[in-house]
Amino acid sequence: MSFAIELGLDTLSYSLSLLLVSLGLVIIFGLMNVINMAHGEFFLLGAYSVVAVQHAGMPYWAALIVAPIVLAIIGVVVEQLIIRHVYHRFIDTILATWGLALAIKQLIVIVFGPTSQSIVNPLPEPVQILGVVYPSFRLFIMAVALAVSVATFWVFYRTHIGLAIRGVIANRSMAASLGLNTRRMDRWTFAFGAALAGFAGAVMAPIMSVDPQMGGGFLIPAFLSIMVGGMAHLLGVVLGVGLIGATGTVISSIDTQVASQVAVFLLAIIIIRIWPEGLIGRRR
Amino acid sequence: MLDVNGLVAGYSAGSRVLDGFSMHIRPGEIVALLGRNGMGKTTFLKALMGHVAVSSGTVTLGGKAITGLKPYEVARCGVGYVPQGREIFPDFTVEENLLMGVLGRSDLPQEVPAWAFELFPILQERRTQRGGSMSGGQQQQLAIVRALVGRPRLLLLDEPSEGIQPNIVQEIGRVLSRIAREQGLTILLVEQNMELVLGMAQRCLFMENGAVVHETDQVQQLRDDPAPIHRYLSV
Repeated sequence: MSFAIELGLDTLSYSLSLLLVSLGLVIIFGLMNVINMAHGEFFLLGAYSVVAVQHAGMPYWAALIVAPIVLAIIGVVVEQLIIRHVYHRFIDTILATWGLALAIKQLIVIVFGPTSQSIVNPLPEPVQILGVVYPSFRLFIMAVALAVSVATFWVFYRTHIGLAIRGVIANRSMAASLGLNTRRMDRWTFAFGAALAGFAGAVMAPIMSVDPQMGGGFLIPAFLSIMVGGMAHLLGVVLGVGLIGATGTVISSIDTQVASQVAVFLLAIIIIRIWPEGLIGRRR
Repeated sequence: MLDVNGLVAGYSAGSRVLDGFSMHIRPGEIVALLGRNGMGKTTFLKALMGHVAVSSGTVTLGGKAITGLKPYEVARCGVGYVPQGREIFPDFTVEENLLMGVLGRSDLPQEVPAWAFELFPILQERRTQRGGSMSGGQQQQLAIVRALVGRPRLLLLDEPSEGIQPNIVQEIGRVLSRIAREQGLTILLVEQNMELVLGMAQRCLFMENGAVVHETDQVQQLRDDPAPIHRYLSV
């Protein structure tokens, strides 16, 4: 029983973190039709901002503020210098952001070295929950990821700016004809997506191996979640991360990491084969 | 109000769908732009809105040059656009569709004004329903009011009667004529439906091969002498 509860908590913790990364990715893709291959590296930069904050002698918690701000600024710069020049050319955006991903990774190697960085767990005391002893920091991650995801949904579906973004996603030229500055919305949405990824990186850093390769580890399941869930509604992503997160966590707890990845890919292939537009397909 | 001089524009470099297009509209005037398919009527509206690049010529609105502005800037200069095919947001409710008409206009209150639901009563009835669930005529009414809530000085209508039942076309014509009369709204109507044109327009421009080739302000005489209609509209 306690194994099942622990597994459930692990699944929830992983899925919620994956949701943070995937939300930024799917909003950017929906709005700008840009597949941001550097999204995993934004996550990486978020994690390394924790390293930088620790080096500067500041507490871990400061990184939760520093990381999204730094990544939002990086997002604006990247959008301005790279994305806006290529976002009409779909394939080029993949190449350009992939190139950016390589550059960021190498920059991290140059500045911090190729080896894994150790991050001090800010909440080392475990807590008793539902009869199992569970790391309190993982519970913290869940709470934060849940709060940020709910806030993102609220902005997207309950505010004027969210309506405007959804309007641009649905019909960019009509939204522009109504006076919406779609370019400025692209810029801020890209920055917001980058900030979400950076925040996720900072939140997850203490329980992950912080090294220059860590970005890819989240990017691939994030993409799979989006493809499995579909892009008609942000809820598709929730469904996608739930399925991908649960499959990955459950299989890896009873078998090897390799078996878990095989299962995740198989699941994704089967679902995409049956529902090419994802479980909540894009309505046309 | 609107002055267009020697406009040349097209969808690719060097193409001249609009070939020296010139026209002017006085404030408060309702002008119909007529012509066969493919003569450049829709292209003109798109060029005016900034959706199609202009290679030469000028457009001024109330004395201000708007050539080369981006679509959102043209809209903020006071141009309301109801495109062909309506292009409402099908997944948004009627109210959200109307809200989209003011969200890009920071100079206006960020809410749908009460009068928006009074112009066409069906919009009040269907306020919380998805725009995509409405009939073509109701969607057209929605698209028109969505443009009006942005308080335009100039309203561009691209074939508003297309695929719509006659009684709704008449209702649209009546409401727009009244708004133009009471509020001094200037309207440019691109249309093939002569009933709507004869019921609304004060002046008709006939277009051929990217330019205005004939003009008349004796609109009602077109009923008795439809020669220009036959010449420039019949296939």
